[in-house]
Amino acid sequence: MGLLRYTTYRFAQAIPVLIGISILTFVLANLTPGDPVRLMLQGVEADQEMIEQIEAQYGLDRPLYERYLDYMAGLVQGDMGHSFHRNRSVSELIASRIGPTLLLVLSAYAFALATSIPLGIIAAKRRNEPFDHVSRIVALIGVSTPSFWIGIMLILIFAVQLGWLPSAGLVYPWWSPETYGHDGYVEHFVETIRHLLLPMIALGTLQMATLMRVERTQMIESLQGEYVKLARAYGVPERTILRKHAFQVAQLPIITIVGLNLSTALGGAVLTEFVFNINGLGRLFYDAIVQLDYQVIMGITMIIATMFVIGVIITDIAYAYIDPRVTYGEAE
Amino acid sequence: MSSEPLLRVENLKTQFFTDTGTVRAVDGISFEVYEGEIVGLVGESGAGKSVASMSLLRLVENPGEIVGGEVTYKGETIFGLEEGPDGELRKRDDMLSNEEMRDRIRGNEIAVIFQDPMESLNPVFTVGGQLREFIELNRDLSREKAREEAVDMLREVGIPDPEERYEEYPHQFSGGMRQRVLIAMALACEPNLIIADEPTTALDVTVEGQIIDLVDDLQEKYGTSFIWVTHDLGVVAEICDRVNVMYLGEIVEQAPIDELFYDTKHPYTDALLDSIPRPDRTVGELDPIEGVMPEAISPPSGCRFHPRCPDAREVCRRVHPENRVVDTTESAEPHRAACVKHDAFDVGYDESPPLEKEPQVTSEPDADTEAGVTGPGPGPGPGTGTGTGTGPGSSGGGGEGSE
Repeated sequence: MGLLRYTTYRFAQAIPVLIGISILTFVLANLTPGDPVRLMLQGVEADQEMIEQIEAQYGLDRPLYERYLDYMAGLVQGDMGHSFHRNRSVSELIASRIGPTLLLVLSAYAFALATSIPLGIIAAKRRNEPFDHVSRIVALIGVSTPSFWIGIMLILIFAVQLGWLPSAGLVYPWWSPETYGHDGYVEHFVETIRHLLLPMIALGTLQMATLMRVERTQMIESLQGEYVKLARAYGVPERTILRKHAFQVAQLPIITIVGLNLSTALGGAVLTEFVFNINGLGRLFYDAIVQLDYQVIMGITMIIATMFVIGVIITDIAYAYIDPRVTYGEAE
Repeated sequence: MSSEPLLRVENLKTQFFTDTGTVRAVDGISFEVYEGEIVGLVGESGAGKSVASMSLLRLVENPGEIVGGEVTYKGETIFGLEEGPDGELRKRDDMLSNEEMRDRIRGNEIAVIFQDPMESLNPVFTVGGQLREFIELNRDLSREKAREEAVDMLREVGIPDPEERYEEYPHQFSGGMRQRVLIAMALACEPNLIIADEPTTALDVTVEGQIIDLVDDLQEKYGTSFIWVTHDLGVVAEICDRVNVMYLGEIVEQAPIDELFYDTKHPYTDALLDSIPRPDRTVGELDPIEGVMPEAISPPSGCRFHPRCPDAREVCRRVHPENRVVDTTESAEPHRAACVKHDAFDVGYDESPPLEKEPQVTSEPDADTEAGVTGPGPGPGPGTGTGTGTGPGSSGGGGEGSE
């Protein structure tokens, strides 16, 4: 099977998964105790007639399955519905909020990969030496500490105590420097980085720690491989062995973990955005849940689920690309 | 045979420093390899053969270390110690540096064929790419030239459609084909010495035969010297010129091939020969060596083989025999053995009382005999058929006892 057919096949497979997720989310959101109309009318004197009128306006008086089918019919046409509270279309809301979240998650991943792989390799190379012990302790702390706590500590140290970095908000690099009163693109870029640094580390630490542990184990195993012995016996320099012969084999599990951990990263983004007061998808999601804003909950869940599914498909394709033993779904 | 050997190993000692103690894996072995000959290094698993061969390349892995002796290759010192001014042993100045070992010796001068063709090739690179890399590195050829050379070499070792197979990955090759690739790697680097570390052990018997024939032909064509590490005396008989028999880190017998087989001087070699399944003998007549080889961490006193030796006497427990010339009459080449029963050792073996058989751990005899049933090759040897009763005396002359 060729790459194109495989990709098409995998995307087709993803459709039932997404339908399943939509049903589950729709039912769960609607079963959550509380009444969105009453929440909407908080502080307003409203009689039964008015409530019924609003329910009818949003279609909340109709049976659940009808509302679901209606929603799905809209979704396939690109209509993600309307927010009760914000009086805007869900797609518009998501479009305005997805940028900061993607920036945060992608930079956290970039940070995690850029640190974990070299550190894991060095730890494997210096197995049972002080560097290895220290890095293992750091990794253990990293995987067992919640990201919001790390975020709060980072704010306390670097923003409050030392005053080096800002504690809240992001600078969006896709907005023009003038919006922020920045003097040219250099300052704009520097400010973007300064704002991004703490939330990126807060969200990326867990990924970094997880990936570093896997990288270390994989490299240790790979370095003990017969093919490494063979390369040594043929006079291949040690750094080539580390960079090429042992490295490439060891990266296969890393790819899988990056794909699967996308879910924890997106989940962690919700809390990180909250701690750092970033107006991203996570904040919107939180508000929507509190307000029982059904359409927004649905919309964000579907977007996140789609991103996750795409992430997994991309990792599968990358895996098959890097490991010649994995074919695109066809026995030889 | 030139007078100056290609490789000279003298009193080589390699030890592993483990938590439970020092393992003397190689304990003072000496041998030579001359140009164009195949030298066998034979022994049971754990005798120290592989450690010895990796020591020659200075590639002993942690916690192992070469602690003594001298290895000379073409007059250059691969390993050598001297006494420093403080009385401590230190590495000699003329010893090749790690970089020199890597750049000039490994691959270019001494190449290796490993035991496990399944694991020795890197799964994520093409077979041709791996071959090309080693050729490029060791023969200073351009990428294109190395590629041509790699394809030629694949053809040379009998891989059909080498152009296409060059682009394929190891998992697309069978075990025998991968072993051919490993042989191609060794030969393509044009070394003067190839260490073959049990290269046919992982293969089935028919493929083993093909590989041995291939190596025999190629050796004749290229004139490369070989150190052939194996536990299989049958293979040794087929290709080796001279043999070193190892037991517990020591060489116990050293002789030209014919002398080793027809005028065996060490009881251990005798025992090894008796335990080979042969078509002319039934399984019941097989004579496996008693017991198992002790750990190299605490070798027996005196002669290390004495607890398992049928000829052991009291003196064997006390005297540790070195490998000494015991017979020079047959040919110019000395026949060495480390056994005090020979006259060369004057330690009173003849007067010494035989040893009481000590109770010892024996390996399961059932397992041994079963291995014997499946062991013999496809020869028409009677008495090896499965299912039929193997009557004693039904064995005819099965020709040569090769597998």
